[in-house]
Order: sequence, then C-alpha cells, then structure tokens
Amino acid sequence: MDFKESGFMYLLGGFISLFVIAQSLFFMVKAWKQGKKLGISAVTLKNTVASSALFTVAPAIAILATVITIAGALGLVLPWIKLTTIGNISYEVTAAQNALEAFSIKGGLAFEVKDKAVFAAAAWVMTVGCVMPLILLPIFLKKIQTKVGKAANTNAKWADLMAAAAFIGLIAAFIAKAVAGSGDKAVVGDGAGLLSVSTLIAAMVIMLVLQLICNKFKMKWLEPFAMPLSMIAAMGVAMLLARILPAHLVVLEWRG
Amino acid sequence: MEKTYFDRVHLWGKISSITALAVMLCIPVSICLYLNVWPQAGNVFKGLLSIIPLFWSVAVVEVVTYAPLLGAGGTYLSFVTGNISNLKLPCGLNAMQNANVRANTEEGEVISTIAIAASSITTTLILAIGVLLFAPVLPKMTAAGSPFAPAFQQVLPALFGALGAGYFAKHWKISILPIAAGILVLVFAPQLAVGTLIPVTVIISLLGTHIMYKKKLI
Repeated sequence: MDFKESGFMYLLGGFISLFVIAQSLFFMVKAWKQGKKLGISAVTLKNTVASSALFTVAPAIAILATVITIAGALGLVLPWIKLTTIGNISYEVTAAQNALEAFSIKGGLAFEVKDKAVFAAAAWVMTVGCVMPLILLPIFLKKIQTKVGKAANTNAKWADLMAAAAFIGLIAAFIAKAVAGSGDKAVVGDGAGLLSVSTLIAAMVIMLVLQLICNKFKMKWLEPFAMPLSMIAAMGVAMLLARILPAHLVVLEWRG
Repeated sequence: MEKTYFDRVHLWGKISSITALAVMLCIPVSICLYLNVWPQAGNVFKGLLSIIPLFWSVAVVEVVTYAPLLGAGGTYLSFVTGNISNLKLPCGLNAMQNANVRANTEEGEVISTIAIAASSITTTLILAIGVLLFAPVLPKMTAAGSPFAPAFQQVLPALFGALGAGYFAKHWKISILPIAAGILVLVFAPQLAVGTLIPVTVIISLLGTHIMYKKKLI
C-alpha cells in the first residue's frame, strides 16, 4: 500500500479535522451565548450560521479541487491535512516545491514522491513555513485589538468609514486581479480575460438585482442568501458562456 | 473585577492558538515516527530558508491587516484554518452586513465569530467528505475539459463581484481609488500575487478615505 495514503495517514487527517471542528464549535457556542445576552435574536444567529455555511460551499469545493493539484506528487492525505490547517494553496505549493528542490528533485511537484524521507521533509517544510501566525497571535492580538477598539470608540463615524475602506481595499485587490492580473501561463482561464470579467460583472449585477428584490418586496428572509446565491449564479454564467461562446473567445485572456 | 467578553475571548484564543501550534507540529513528528524516517535537518532547513523570509513577513502583515476586520474570536479561528482573504474574511463581512452590526463592537465580534466558525466547520467537512468520497470523481470535474471547470476557475471573481457590489453601491466614493490603484499596479506588474497586492490596496484605500474624511468630502 502507498505509504502516502495509508490508514495511519487517514487517521491523522481525521484527527486534525476533528480538532478544527471542536475548536470552531467551542468558539461558536461561546459567541452564541454572548449574542443572546446582548439581545441578538435567535433568527439572526441562525441565519448567520445558515448563510455562512451556504456561502462557504462553492469556495470550499474550489479548495478541495486544489488538493487534487498537489495530490499527484504528495498523495491525497497530506494536502488535505495541510489545507484543513492554515491551508492556502499558494503557500502549500510553494512550500512543497521548495522542500522537493532542497532534495535536488527537478520538476518538483510534477512527479510522484516515492522516497519516505523526502515526503517527511515536505511535511516539515509545509508545517513550519506556515505556523508564524500562531506564534504572533497569542502575543500581539490583544494589543492590536485594544488599540483598534479605542480608536473606534473615540470617533464612530471615522471608524466605520475606515472599516469599510479596509474591506473595500481587500475586495479591490481581487477585482483588479480579475480585470488586469495575469495568471499561471499553463492554466487556461487563470488570467484576467473575457470569462473573469464577465463572471465579475454577472456577480455584481445579480447581487444588485437580488438586493433590489429584497428591498422592494420586503423579503427579509432572502437577504442573507443574496450573496451566496449571486456567487453560485455567476459561476453558472461562467459555465454557460464557456459552452455557448466561440472557443477563441472563451480562452481570451488579455494578460495571459 | 469581572472579566469582559473580549478578555475571555483572548484567553480562549491564546490557549487554542498554542494548542493548535502543538497539534500542527505533531503532524510531521507523527509522520516521521510512523514511517520511521527522519529527513536530514540540512535539507529541511534548505527548504525552509527559501520560504521563511517571505512566509513569515507575510504572516506579520496578514495578522496586522486582518485582525481588526475579523474580530478577536474570528482572528484566532481564521489563522488556524487558513484561506482567510478568499473565504473567512468575506464570509465574516457578509454576515456582519446582513445582521446590520459594526466591526469592532461586541455585536460585530459575536456575529463574525459565529460566521467564521460555521465557515470553518463547513470547509473542514467538505474537505473531509470530498477526500474520502469524491477523490476518484473530483479530478474529472475540475479537469480542463469538464463543463464545471470554468465555474471553479472563476470562483474568486464570482465571490468578490457579489461581495463588492453591496459595498461599492453603499460607499462608491471611497471605492474608486483602491480599485483604480489595484488595476494600475497590475498594468505594470501583472504577475504580482494577490496576497502582495492586498496590503497595497488596503493601505491606499485607508489613506484615501482618511484624507476624504478630513477634507469633508464624505
């Protein structure tokens, strides 16, 4: 049996998943109780859980798909474990690639790792490379939050605007990437092009229409689901365009 | 004096971060013990040396940039599970907007924590179920020729288009500058990773908004 996908590795993956779920449940229960104390309605709390779960489905499937991209070299289980904990595909690919290169393996992730020592080294590099936030947070987070809290309390309007500005700054980076960023040359559809811009515009238009419907017809129940529904519908538009447009337009990427 | 909710969240967060750190370091240790093989330290260091300067400095920037937006509980949870900018943060923002609560208030803290916890559980379950059940099918779904492939390739424009629409409609005056700046940066450096672009657009957005506020334009 392949050592990369042995029963032990699956057990390890199961243990890590249970740890993450237990930790999330702990924080959720504590926040839920506090929310009730603050007078937040049970409906709002339930809607937050339901819409967040729905919101997560499509990106989580996309993350699952990225597991596959490195599974060829490292098996399914190690990428699964790593993407469950501080996972981010660009980090994991870079870390694994560097670990393999340290063993002078040319081609890196393009080939299956068969040497146990190389596999173990990849696990070390992928883990140690990503743990820095867990060292920083216990030391600095409270100080950062206290400073932000004080600034927010002294001037509420300014603080609200700055919070919105920070969110918009984050969103702007992804919008810019979809409009003008180049992607991986080897992957069709990764760079900015007709499909990325069409999907972006479709998502915006559908979201605005859904918000309009919510307001006009007073459909409060629909509000939490407007965002995930717009996202999934826009992905549907990307699929539809890829089917009906001529092939040369589907792969049109102005930034490569 | 009785501890506030924030004090308690920080106490739980510190314990959970240190526990998570220990659990994560157990992954390579247990793999080495199970395989009965210990890679040469020199090779591991060589691999680490090329990524640590970048990864660890990005970690500092991420903690400072995301912590005020995610809230305390949300930050502790997000940094254990990862995929922050492309999943946990938009999820928290969406939930706070829906519940009509502000970030950096106790209500915002509660809603953001619940949203990020729900998102972390969903992601973990989808990854676990997906790996166990759909491993044989998934490569076919996402492979270049599959009808689903374009949808998965465009998941980020779909996500941020939908999330951005609400914000841009409400705050269009402060949205123009960071978007234009992001596009301009990419015109000259199209290969720039989005993780590097985020601190740039966030800082420009904060500066622009601050100046507009001071000049009473907003």
